[in-house]
Formats: sequence, structure tokens, C-alpha cells
Amino acid sequence: MGEYKLLLRHSGDPSYATLDGYQRQGGYDGLRKALAMDRQQVIDEVKTSGLRGRGGAGFPAWIKWNGLPKEKTKPHYIICNADEGEPGTFKDKQLMETCPFLVVEGMTIAAYATQADVGYIYIRGEFVDAARSMRRAIDEAYRAGLLGRNILGSGMNFDLHIHTGAGSYECGEESALMSSLMGERGMPRLKFPHAPLPTISGLWDSPTLINNVETYACAPFILANGGAWYASIGASTKNSRGTKIFSVSGHVNKPGNYEVEFGTPLMELLEMAGGMKGGELKACVPGGSSVPILNAEACQKAIIGYEEMMEVGSMVGSGGCMFLNEHTSIVDFIWRTSIFYKDESCGKCTPCREGTRWMFLILDRIRSGQGRMEDLQLLEDVCRQIDGRSFCGLGDAAAWPVAGALKVFRHEFEEFIRSGRSLAARA
Amino acid sequence: MSQSSDTPTLRFSPKAVAELESLKTHYPNLKACILPALWIAQREYGGHLPPEAIAEVAFRLKRSPAEVQGVATFYSMYNTEHKPGRHMIEVCTCLTCHVCGASNIVAYLEKKLGIKMGETTPDGMFTLHGVECLNACDRAPLIQVGDEYHGPMDEAKIDALLERLRNEPESKVVALADAIVQVHLKEEEREKARQAAASVQS
Repeated sequence: MGEYKLLLRHSGDPSYATLDGYQRQGGYDGLRKALAMDRQQVIDEVKTSGLRGRGGAGFPAWIKWNGLPKEKTKPHYIICNADEGEPGTFKDKQLMETCPFLVVEGMTIAAYATQADVGYIYIRGEFVDAARSMRRAIDEAYRAGLLGRNILGSGMNFDLHIHTGAGSYECGEESALMSSLMGERGMPRLKFPHAPLPTISGLWDSPTLINNVETYACAPFILANGGAWYASIGASTKNSRGTKIFSVSGHVNKPGNYEVEFGTPLMELLEMAGGMKGGELKACVPGGSSVPILNAEACQKAIIGYEEMMEVGSMVGSGGCMFLNEHTSIVDFIWRTSIFYKDESCGKCTPCREGTRWMFLILDRIRSGQGRMEDLQLLEDVCRQIDGRSFCGLGDAAAWPVAGALKVFRHEFEEFIRSGRSLAARA
Repeated sequence: MSQSSDTPTLRFSPKAVAELESLKTHYPNLKACILPALWIAQREYGGHLPPEAIAEVAFRLKRSPAEVQGVATFYSMYNTEHKPGRHMIEVCTCLTCHVCGASNIVAYLEKKLGIKMGETTPDGMFTLHGVECLNACDRAPLIQVGDEYHGPMDEAKIDALLERLRNEPESKVVALADAIVQVHLKEEEREKARQAAASVQS
């Protein structure tokens, strides 16, 4: 099926990051159309489009958009989650650096649909280039009357601010992000059904919409061309519509971001990225470090789609796709994964704080050649104790890659424990 | 609260004060200004956040120093523990970088600078620091220095980078903090800060 460049079509053109260049390519047609519709019609277009959240969870975007009260009694807020931190993912970075107006326009459309007064783009602190690009775009949009008071003469007011993080993976979790935005430690907050949804009570107890960068960047196209048109892309899949940007890295010849239509085979993505480097394909983590690893056989069968990926035992996730060649030790790779989650666990809840540490300790013992066969069962047990029991998704995300690798590459763990070393890794 | 009576020593420049005043208009309360104010403080205090910096942020935002310290210590980019060297070299050792040779980059940097990860060279020039995914995995193995990403790295590129940084008079740690403060501010807010800085000089 090849690449399907929708969001990234003009990514290589530097003028696309300027308002003039953006408008030459149809920029702000979506907002103009949206402002001529009533709010509910805008939400209905998003519903028709079948757009699902691109941050990792794949939640239908329109349900969030529709969830804010229609009768406004408090300020409404919208947030763009640009705290891209999932290992292997770098799509939001490129979107913000090269297509910043897609994000600004997408957020403005969402603000109109949800009656939001103020928006925040929460960008991770390390992404200075992305933040500078967003800053230039926001400044330009203000100058042109596309942000601020009475946008395009419609009477709509919308202020957009940048707020940066300061080094914390956990802040990509939406409730932790809101804690951080409100000036707290980046820890998750009590969630539905134990607390109201953010759309009812989010930032400062006000109705709040939060979406990923790529999700907002889809909105201008959906409004400009219609939800039905968008839904025709990826229609071969069960319930995934449109395009998805995959950040391909690891042992490939041409690492980079590749945008594909849902329904594209995973192996085509590998081809786009120039094929394997340094050896045959052994494994792939298709959607960021949190999703279960696939072996080469499963990669052959995998189709890119939210449900389709689950059928082969993994997930689309954030689209951080790491291909690993035959010389990679899976034990070593999963050991490194466990370090990440141990370091990034915020410490709020016991299953995640203690569980991620124990997973690391056991994997470290195996990797150092001191592993025992019963460690594998112990690891599985720890995974079970974390999965579904942690306060937020970070715990689940830490357990899945370990549990997945133990299922798919168990023989390699056993081999490692028996011999005390990796037989896969090159000497 | 009684702590408001004892004013800490205030070191924010007029420019920093103007920046903070602008930031206050972005949020409905002062508490939400803690993170951006800490970035201002990290720049104003030369790249780290000693207790005096925390006290100043707390005072200016009418929060307690304990609260601000609690927030600051959560985030890895606020240098609350040690004053880093003039330039902090942050080496990504996370997944993609790990499988693409980050350990060679770490070993070469340690050998070349004669220090271990987490340490600072005796001349105070460089601090080596390992970090988790910087999310530019297409450029693995990757290094961040201040507001710059560098990758894919190899020994020759490290040599060239270190050479350039040695001759860089301005601290990259401070440059990063300043860059982050600037992206928060709108055009007219940056202009206001410039005027505040100029009014002192004249």
C-alpha cells in the first residue's frame, strides 16, 4: 500500500511551518468550515471520521469532544499532550517541528467544538526545537487573528499557551500531566469511575479535553474534507480509520517517521524504512516500549490496525516501532526496558513502584548469569501483580513487555539461564 | 502563614521578574506557575536550584519552600542536587540507543573525559549524565547538550562536539533553561522582558 502522506505531506517543505506556506496548502480551511457549522456538527464530523486517539490508547476522539458540558457554567480547557516520551516514538516531535499549524488549527477547531477558552500545549522540556516551532506558529496565529479575541470575526475567543515539562515520562499520562500543569509533582489522579472524567472535572476542576498532538493534527483534514472522506481511509480494517504515523527505529537502514493508511501490513513499514540492517529480522516492538514484542513470524502476519495488531498479540500504541535483528539478545532488551520503567515509575502506588523494581532485579540477576529457572515464573507472577492493579497505566505498560517477551521468547530466557549468557548477541 | 514575614534574598533580574509577571497571566492561580518559575530560577541561579532559588520561587509565588522543593525534586531536568558543570552531556541509553551502541558512546565519553556517568570534570567544564528516551530514535545513538540534540553519534563526532563546547563561553545548562522560558512567552511578553532588562542598563 505504500506511504500515505496526509499529515506529513508537506513536512519536508520549510514554508509549511509559516502561516503563508500553511495556508497555501489549504491550511485553515478546516477551521473556516468549522466556524460556519454549529458545535455539534463539528463533533459529528469527528464521530463520522472514526478518529481514535493517537497517543496510545486509541480511544474514540469524538466521545471526549462530546463529553464536555454543552451548557457552560465554568471555564473550559483543552490540552495538547505533547509530552512524547514513549521509547521509540518521535512522531509528535516531527509534527511540531515541521507542521506546527496543524496542531494550532486542530486545537482551535477542538476549542470551538468544546467551547474552550484556554488551551495548553504541554511539551516535554527536552523538545526545545519543537517548542520553538510551536511558539513561532502561535505568535503568527495571534498576529493574524487566528488566536486570541474574535477569531476570524466569529466572536470566538481562544488563548493558547505553551507549558513545558521538566523530565518525567509519567507526565504523558493524562491525569499526571494535569497535575504537572497545575504545578504539582507529576503524579496521576483518581480516575473514573472513582472520580469524574476530565471532560467534566479536569484542570482546576473545570471541563477539560485532552488529546495527543497527532490527534489534533488530524482535525483540520477531517473538517476540511469531511468525516466520511477521512473514514474512507483505512476502511479495510475493523475499526481503525485514517492514517497513522509510525516512528521506525532500531536495526533498519532508513529510520524515520512513516505515515501509513490503516490496513497496511507491518512488513511494508519495514520495507519503507529500507529493510533490516546487520542481520535478519528477529523481533519488533510495534507501538512503543509498552506494547508486547512480536517475533518475526507474527510480524509477517501483522496488519496495522488497533484490533488487527491485537490479533497478533501486540498493539498500535503510540506508533514507536522498533525492529530488532537476529543479533539482539531479547533478555538484554527486556532488561533495558525494565530499567526504564523502574526509573520512570512515579512512586505513588505500591504495585508499580515495587513491582517495576523487582522486575528489574530479577531480570538483572538473569542477565548477570545468576538466573534460576524459577525466576521466570516469579517474573510472570510479578507481572500479574502489577497488571490491572496499578494506580495508572504506567504499571500495566511496564508489565506487558516483560509478560509478552516471556511468552514469545521464553526459550531464549531459558537458554540464557542455562548457559549464563546470551547466545544471540554477537561476541 | 508566617514564612511570608522573613523575605529570602532575591536574585531574580528585572527581566526575570517581568517574565514571571507575564507567566502569571497564563494560569488561574500562582501554584501553576511553579514549573515555569523553576525554569526561570534555574537560569538565574546559573544552571541549578540551590535552596535559595527554591526559597525565592516560593516567596514570589506565595507558596511554601517545602512545596516548591517537593515539586522540583520530582523532575529530572531541575538540578536540585548538584550544580552541574558548564555543559551537561546527556547520553540516551534507552531502548533504541541501547541496541544501536549507546554503551560504546558512554565508554568513549568516560574515557575521553576521565570521569564516570554522573560525575563532573575537575575543571567544572562537563557533567556526564545518562538519560532515558529523548525521543529522536531515528538518530540513535543520541546525545543532548542543552538545547541541542546530536546524533547519530560516533567517536569523531564526539571529539568535534567536545572541542566546540570547550570554546563555548555560555553554559549550555543555562541556555537550555533560558530557551524553555522563552517558548512560554508570547511576542509582546518577550518584548516586555527585554524592556525591563534595558531599563536597568540605561
